Amino acid sequence: MLEGEGLNKGFSRISRKNFLKYCSIAAATLGLPPTMAKKLAAAANADNRPSVIWLHFQECTGCTETLLRTNHPGIGELVLDLISLDYHETLMGASGKQAHEALKKAMAANRGKYVLVVEGSIPTKQNGIYCQIGGQTAIDMLKEVAGGAMAIIAIGSCASWGGVQSATPNPTGAVGVSELIKDKPIVNLPGCPPNPYNLLSTVMYFLTFKKLPKLDGKGRPVFAYGKTLHSHCERKDHFDAGRFVKKYGDEAHQKGYCLYVMGCKGPVTYANCSAIGFNELGVWPVSAGHPCVGCTEKEIAFEVSLYKAPKILNAEAPKCLDNMVVETFPVPGSVKESGGSLVGAVVVGAAIGAIAGYAGAIASKLPSKDDEK
Amino acid sequence: MAQKIVIDPISRIEGHLRIDVEVDGGKVKNAWASGTMFRGIEKILEGKHPNDAWFITQRFCGV
Repeated sequence: MLEGEGLNKGFSRISRKNFLKYCSIAAATLGLPPTMAKKLAAAANADNRPSVIWLHFQECTGCTETLLRTNHPGIGELVLDLISLDYHETLMGASGKQAHEALKKAMAANRGKYVLVVEGSIPTKQNGIYCQIGGQTAIDMLKEVAGGAMAIIAIGSCASWGGVQSATPNPTGAVGVSELIKDKPIVNLPGCPPNPYNLLSTVMYFLTFKKLPKLDGKGRPVFAYGKTLHSHCERKDHFDAGRFVKKYGDEAHQKGYCLYVMGCKGPVTYANCSAIGFNELGVWPVSAGHPCVGCTEKEIAFEVSLYKAPKILNAEAPKCLDNMVVETFPVPGSVKESGGSLVGAVVVGAAIGAIAGYAGAIASKLPSKDDEK
Repeated sequence: MAQKIVIDPISRIEGHLRIDVEVDGGKVKNAWASGTMFRGIEKILEGKHPNDAWFITQRFCGV
């Protein structure tokens, strides 16, 4: 049982019980021992709310919605109490000139200290005319605001790698933040929508350890995107035993068998949906009877048909798959996971160099502390 | 003398909106609303299987 107070700042309606529950979930999501929840709670209560500027570009506001519409009161409220949200077009009262002035003021007051959250991709074709805010293109606005940021969180697949509008033929030249900003630490939290617990955990990690969590070759926190969905899927036993759904509504579907044959991208999608779920009910697409669509992966989401399954180049795949007609697609840049049994789409040679470079860039900007002590 | 008022961005909505208003003698003479963001989802849908379309069109708006 955790000791200590509830969240005693902001205008939170979160009970002490729920506050401590969220701290425990955040600690678990981060892969930290349960005792660390107390440290996260203490850091959340310390008077160090970072200023956050939240920009929207080519987006659907789904990332904001998934954060705010969880519970009453819920995780969204907790995140908003942990930070000082100084600019957010969906939530702020001001419009037009007043909104623009609020942005300028927040940037000037916390220059070099604020965290920039970006939701949505940035169109680059025709000098970025496809997204303009207050007459300024998304490219210019991003570069201007990123210039004074300490770190950037790209929330959702759009800000991480371009999202739905970057699908072939990418009419507007939509790209993620890391394509345009090279001199700031960037955390990508892809997902369509991303899981709000991953944002909460990233924020709590940052408040507690004063640095960003460890990232993979695509700039994603390893705690959330280090494993495939498949590796901790609740239906994995059915996969291993060769029990597959072959048609929506069939007996196997009603029994909750594996959705691989229906086109599940779980074996090549790196995310923790199957471990923490959504909507605080633990639900996620597969638990609702639909295959994973691979929304965190640039090469898969919106590019590969929902009904094609990733080709599994693995001798350990159930034998019955040999006799079944499965429409497959080759996994881009596939290599075998070390020690694992499935195909990996993420870890390629070039990416490993990027991890080291990334870690270095972050370490030099933010004070480092020993986390797990 | 007509006065032009521009409100951009409009907040508390999904997406990006700009309002231009022409005011003359305290009365609105003309007004324009513009969506200032374009993604080209229709172009992306060309050539896709109809069964895959819902997953893409669903991303128009997340609110």
